[in-house]
Amino acid sequence: MTHNRRIENSAEHHEVSALLPWYVNETLGEIDRQRVDAHLGMCAACREDLAAQRRICEAIDAQPAIDYMPVASLKRLQARLDALGESDPTIAPVKEQPTQRLPWRGWMAASVAALAVAVALLAANRFVQTDAHLMQPNYRTVTNSAPRPQGEVIRAVFAPSITLVELQSILDEAQLRIVSGPTEAGVYSLASNSTLTVRASLALLRQHSTVRFAEGTLPEPEPGDSP
Amino acid sequence: MTLPVKNSPKERDSALLVAIAAGDRRALEELYLSFHRRLARFLSRFTSRYENVEEIINDTFMVVWQSAKDFRNASQVSTWIIGIAYRTALKSFRRQKNHAAAQSLEDYPEQTVDPTFDAELNDWLNHGLSRLPMEQRLTLELAYHMGHSLEEIAAITDCPVGTVKARMFHAREKLRQYLPALSGGPAGLSARIG
Repeated sequence: MTHNRRIENSAEHHEVSALLPWYVNETLGEIDRQRVDAHLGMCAACREDLAAQRRICEAIDAQPAIDYMPVASLKRLQARLDALGESDPTIAPVKEQPTQRLPWRGWMAASVAALAVAVALLAANRFVQTDAHLMQPNYRTVTNSAPRPQGEVIRAVFAPSITLVELQSILDEAQLRIVSGPTEAGVYSLASNSTLTVRASLALLRQHSTVRFAEGTLPEPEPGDSP
Repeated sequence: MTLPVKNSPKERDSALLVAIAAGDRRALEELYLSFHRRLARFLSRFTSRYENVEEIINDTFMVVWQSAKDFRNASQVSTWIIGIAYRTALKSFRRQKNHAAAQSLEDYPEQTVDPTFDAELNDWLNHGLSRLPMEQRLTLELAYHMGHSLEEIAAITDCPVGTVKARMFHAREKLRQYLPALSGGPAGLSARIG
């Protein structure tokens, strides 16, 4: 049996090998860390495993996460808590503190008000010559009054059932990335990742049945305009 | 309630939990917003559907709201909350027997990934992770993305340290099998192809 083989069959090797993930994420205590250091100095297999674990750790850590705006989820939680409080009086009541409103609450209220104004103006402009009785708000708008997120070129809505993996795959294909969203209406703001034209990215998006809506946010160039 | 200024996230979380125990809804909202991103990322390893992720997060914070008064500082607030989310996710998982996440390694034929598979690193990783049993996948996420110690993961998952080590060992072995490019790097991949 070679020296290396003896090391790899030792109890110490197996115990140290089990600690390697936490050596990688640097959460081992000092005693265990020194123990791993000492073993690594003599065990080629553990050094190789350590390098592999570092690659896996970096890859997992670097995986893109889709950012969801949590406000809509929070509102649903608040509704559940309200219902809970009504059905069970022993639950702590909501503490109303009108003088200390959270900053985002003020922002939301202002945003909703501005959104309502924007929708009204848009509707007036779009349908100024139509019968006002036809203007029942039986839809959800994808416009908003907030400043356009930096780099946004497309707004899109995806099917609620779309998975994160599917969403990322579609965005990769269309060479887009999320810069904001989804809003409460499920609207994502997308920016370009490449020199692909917005028109081409839109075409790639629209070929997927899980893309419910996709429109550019910049003015379309007129025919004959120089690029 | 005006919360005192705290220097560290841990102190801030503890102060918020004390306020929540006293019935402060604003404190709950603040804690919710500060945890939403990391919980969403963690739970996306469990289910790819956001509506499920949201449901688990909200179920978790219902428990936080109702149980904050029972928190005894035996662990960090973050460990406690992530542990609640973990167990809530497991319950949800067991309710949805046909959920895609229920697929374990045993559901797949024993085969390695074609090393010539032309994909980005993320594709490789998602491919490999999707074939791990959920407990192993979440253990990897807790250690490699969230940076939790062995003892913290044992507390979060409510199981002995030895079980955490075993789950991680099996996860590493299976990833090594499924992800030759990751476990051996480009040189390892070339060697396997060659």
